[in-house]
Amino acid sequence: MPNDPVVLVDDLRKVFKVPVREAGLKASLKSLLHRETRDVAAVDGVSLRIDAGEVVGFLGPNGAGKTTTLKMLAGLLHPTSGTCRVLGHEPKGRPAELLRQITLVMGNRNQLQWDLPALDSFELNRAIYRIPRPDFLRIRDELVELLDLGDLVTKPVRNLSLGERMKMEIVGSLLHQPKVLFLDEPTIGLDITMQKRIRTFIAEYNQRYGATVMLTSHYMADVQALCKRVIVIHHGRILFDGELASLSDRFSLDKTVTVRLADGEEIKVNAPRGDIAAATGRLLAENDVVDLTIEDPPIDDVIERLFASGSAP
Amino acid sequence: MAARDPHRTGAVRLAATFLRIGVMNEVQYRINFFIQLVQSLLTIATGLVALSLVFAHTDELAGWTRPQLLAVMGVFTMVGGLIRSVIQPNMQRVVEDVREGRLDFALTKPADAQVLVSVRDVRFWQLTDFLVGLVVLVVALVQIGGSLSARDVAVFAGVLLVGLVAVYCFWLLLASASFWLVRMNEVQELFDGVYRAGQYPVGIYPGWLKYGLTFLVPLAFAITVPSEAVTGRLTWQAVAVAAGSAVVLIVLSRWCWQRGLRRYGGASS
Repeated sequence: MPNDPVVLVDDLRKVFKVPVREAGLKASLKSLLHRETRDVAAVDGVSLRIDAGEVVGFLGPNGAGKTTTLKMLAGLLHPTSGTCRVLGHEPKGRPAELLRQITLVMGNRNQLQWDLPALDSFELNRAIYRIPRPDFLRIRDELVELLDLGDLVTKPVRNLSLGERMKMEIVGSLLHQPKVLFLDEPTIGLDITMQKRIRTFIAEYNQRYGATVMLTSHYMADVQALCKRVIVIHHGRILFDGELASLSDRFSLDKTVTVRLADGEEIKVNAPRGDIAAATGRLLAENDVVDLTIEDPPIDDVIERLFASGSAP
Repeated sequence: MAARDPHRTGAVRLAATFLRIGVMNEVQYRINFFIQLVQSLLTIATGLVALSLVFAHTDELAGWTRPQLLAVMGVFTMVGGLIRSVIQPNMQRVVEDVREGRLDFALTKPADAQVLVSVRDVRFWQLTDFLVGLVVLVVALVQIGGSLSARDVAVFAGVLLVGLVAVYCFWLLLASASFWLVRMNEVQELFDGVYRAGQYPVGIYPGWLKYGLTFLVPLAFAITVPSEAVTGRLTWQAVAVAAGSAVVLIVLSRWCWQRGLRRYGGASS
């Protein structure tokens, strides 16, 4: 069944009831008797399809509905309406068959036992997922090597640095060789080197095992390095779903031409796409140019514009 | 649930692995053993002083003689140790995990969630209470005189287990309540306070408190009934009530836990 989608989501909605309370003692006393709630749609009609082996970046500002969507796919939250299927299963009932094939990594939370060496936590996961010992040892050692963890696995997790801990988290959550990885901000709070390391690892893992990866991140670099396809979500709705490259084509109308002159001075000119050749020609004719680059605007700016506009043009 | 779905990890196997690793880890911190031991001895010493004060005024308390009450104190200390080493740490972690949203990880595992959250933590050194309590119980039994048959010991172990199951279910109910009431920080202090009442046979308390300590907080089943078993006071009615209540508690707590999980999936963010 190579053509069956790994993730299939149709018109998914999740509405939270949020208590409404004005500030002040009087208001809080009033809310004791009569609690007013307001419906907030965290995910508001999302439909998408992800095929086996894809690495998809989920982009959006805080509160856009990224994590809520991931949690519904992992069976933690139940949809208010709409359907979602992962590997053909409905996640809502948390079927063991599905849970054995997925993993959820959250960059801001840790699941390893704090006082134990990571090796012991891995052993616990082996028991939970019932991984046969030979497989377990092979995969564990392979992952430990891929992430250069070496002897760190015998140190209590609390003695590890943030980055080391994140690597351990990743090893722990991949021991059962999941087919689908839900990564929620896996590089949050890490330094640039460590972010890169994790990124390379995710790419390698995807290549080697053909796993499907759904990743949310605030760092554009993560998405640029890993994801061919991005889904931009805002206020619970999908604003864009497609190739990362076409995102800037569609949403940025300008390109930037930078020339460096013989005397070391730099000139930057923004021009609409259609006029870029003419603008470059003018710059070359009028100046003594030694170097020239033409760039799309930084993807961050593109996304920011997209959010500012609020919806796809 | 565990039995019906062959894919769910066997509860016993999972518990054994967690226990093994938990113990291996705790054994490294040997100093904790001595601290806990001193604490257990202090607690028992205070209990003994209280007991001797009681018997300065009377020769028996609601039909319990002095060595029999000593036996109750032994069982009380043993059971307290067991609760604090295997039940309480796990249940408190559920309360914390619900509050901090960490329960997600337990729920994304292909194991029964209730089993998983019930075996994750073990405070091995709290078992010093169990040992000290056992010593007190043995001393009390020697004072009482007579001999215990193997059958008496088996019945004692049996009703003790039933009582522990009842306490576990009670704690699971408290932990499940945290799905609705997010702030449950004081629940442990509350339990510890109520638990202290189990130091005496529940029969000495006035009616409402007696029933409260039997059916609301099942201390009677965990402490008084096992104590009755080793002091020749046990009636089969008491065993039947304890076993029946335990079954009701198992079903009720499992139901509440699953309702709580559904709520967690429906409302948390």
